[in-house]
Amino acid sequence: MRVEYINPFVEAAFNVLKEVLNSDVRRGELYLKSTSMPVMGVAAIVGLAGDVEGRVLFDMDKPTALKIASVMNGENLPNFDDLVKATITELANMITAQAVTKLHDLGFRFDLTPPAIFTGENMEVSDAEVEALIVPMETPQGKIEINVAIRERS
Amino acid sequence: MPAQLEAQTEATEARKEKADKVDYKMVTFSLAGKEYGIDIMNVKEIAKAGRFTYVPNAAPFVRGVYNLRGEIISVIDLRIFFHLPAERKEEDSLESLLILRVDDHVFGVIVDAIDKVVGISSQSIQPPHPIFGDINVRYIKGVVENASKLYIILDVERIFAPQREEEEKEEAVPAKALAGAEASPAAGTTLASSGGDISSSFVKETLAAFKGFHVTGLNETWFEQRFSEWKIERAGKDVQLHEASEADEFIGGFWSSCTGRLWEDDYAAAFMATLPDLETKSLNIWNPGCGKGYEAWSLACIFRKRYPETRIKVWANDSDLLAISMAPNMVFPENIPDFYGEFTVKGKNGLSFIQPVRDSIFFEFHDALNPNPLPPLDFIVCRDMLSLLAPADQKKMLDDFADKLKPAGLLFLGANERPGSGWTDAGSEAIGAYRKES
Repeated sequence: MRVEYINPFVEAAFNVLKEVLNSDVRRGELYLKSTSMPVMGVAAIVGLAGDVEGRVLFDMDKPTALKIASVMNGENLPNFDDLVKATITELANMITAQAVTKLHDLGFRFDLTPPAIFTGENMEVSDAEVEALIVPMETPQGKIEINVAIRERS
Repeated sequence: MPAQLEAQTEATEARKEKADKVDYKMVTFSLAGKEYGIDIMNVKEIAKAGRFTYVPNAAPFVRGVYNLRGEIISVIDLRIFFHLPAERKEEDSLESLLILRVDDHVFGVIVDAIDKVVGISSQSIQPPHPIFGDINVRYIKGVVENASKLYIILDVERIFAPQREEEEKEEAVPAKALAGAEASPAAGTTLASSGGDISSSFVKETLAAFKGFHVTGLNETWFEQRFSEWKIERAGKDVQLHEASEADEFIGGFWSSCTGRLWEDDYAAAFMATLPDLETKSLNIWNPGCGKGYEAWSLACIFRKRYPETRIKVWANDSDLLAISMAPNMVFPENIPDFYGEFTVKGKNGLSFIQPVRDSIFFEFHDALNPNPLPPLDFIVCRDMLSLLAPADQKKMLDDFADKLKPAGLLFLGANERPGSGWTDAGSEAIGAYRKES
């Protein structure tokens, strides 16, 4: 993944999470991964197209998703209902959109696909031949892993 | 009542489980500030002792012999054995002694301080990591965490038992002028590898541990030559590498010229001379392991000068995030080699490359061992990186190179690397270039 793409995603994730959760967010060490990865329970995915092809995956466990949705909505949401799903989807959209805006300012053209959300037990994502950058974010509500895989159109 | 009963059974079960878990006990001690453990089954007792009787002509790590209630045992200083700093105590003071029993032999080892007995589950012992540094990894049984302390478990049987066989073997081979008194303990259970020269295979292993440098068919010619030079340089002294600085000294001559800076004029000219005439409209160049990016910038300029009418794309990647992040926005002081003059513009902070050159390089944070989504390539420039990969990965990368390179494409390796079979030489003395055998 091009070096120029890394910072916009890291910054966007940090800013948006900090803003919507209104608390301290810590970024973990970035690393690369190319094997299939288990999903913690809730995964929101946003596709990217344009000069590049790729996707951004937001991975967290269910309690974290519930807590984050509760904070963002300002009410206690005990069940994983449509509102929670919509909220997590929106969070994924906000972060990706801000990253893409930053990239646009740097002269890279990216388009987004509408986000989708997957939930379930024991899920695994495997996209062969793709190396992903993992950005772990620690929030007071729990851990979110942002998994960015982008490659140039050749 | 049922709830209480349940709780009780649960507690018993938990206790039982715990008892199941502790199936390995070790005596822990420290050496040079680090924590180690030895299987309690090998420890006969612990003692404080001093005034060991000196034995002339013994290896330096043998402190002497000691009379343990009528039994004479030899005493080994584990710190000297492992080349760790050992403080010499006063003549009369007592040392902490672990009395070990391996097979039928009893002997004492001196350590800095004996701590306690720790019970652990043998399941929780992790295999040793190849770069432990201080102690040769072969002597380590594993690593275990207990009460947030990390213990390195030494393999006593490995350290003491097989060594005798090794010494016997050495006596049988007379040509071992090198293997002085010191060489044998450290070499220990050396792999019976190529040439049978224990020192050489030990140096190879130390290079792997200190520098991540792996000697294989790729760089063996250089290694053999360097090793014989090294023996002369050391003039009969200990040839082994005990510290990272020695490993640096050993390996210093390996790196290709102009590593870590922009290529000098003459090197750039020599490189340009090896490039063939081509009639294509676009060229794809791959530069894996570009580090801070100096190599990629040099390449982009060289290819632009050599093929001015051609569209050039350089994929430069490295798995070191810190190094590669700086690469795209590199600024240079004024005194760069003349060759780059026409490709740079003066900015506020110094010289930077002109836009067309910048646009021709993709700096990527990428591990080349992962799948490489690249188009067919005209050139691959991979100087010295392969030697820093594990032997299996070196092979994998070379196969990948052969797969990605166009039939007429060229592979550039480091000055002291040879790709082996399947490749023909297409370079000059200064520049190692290779073409796929069809």
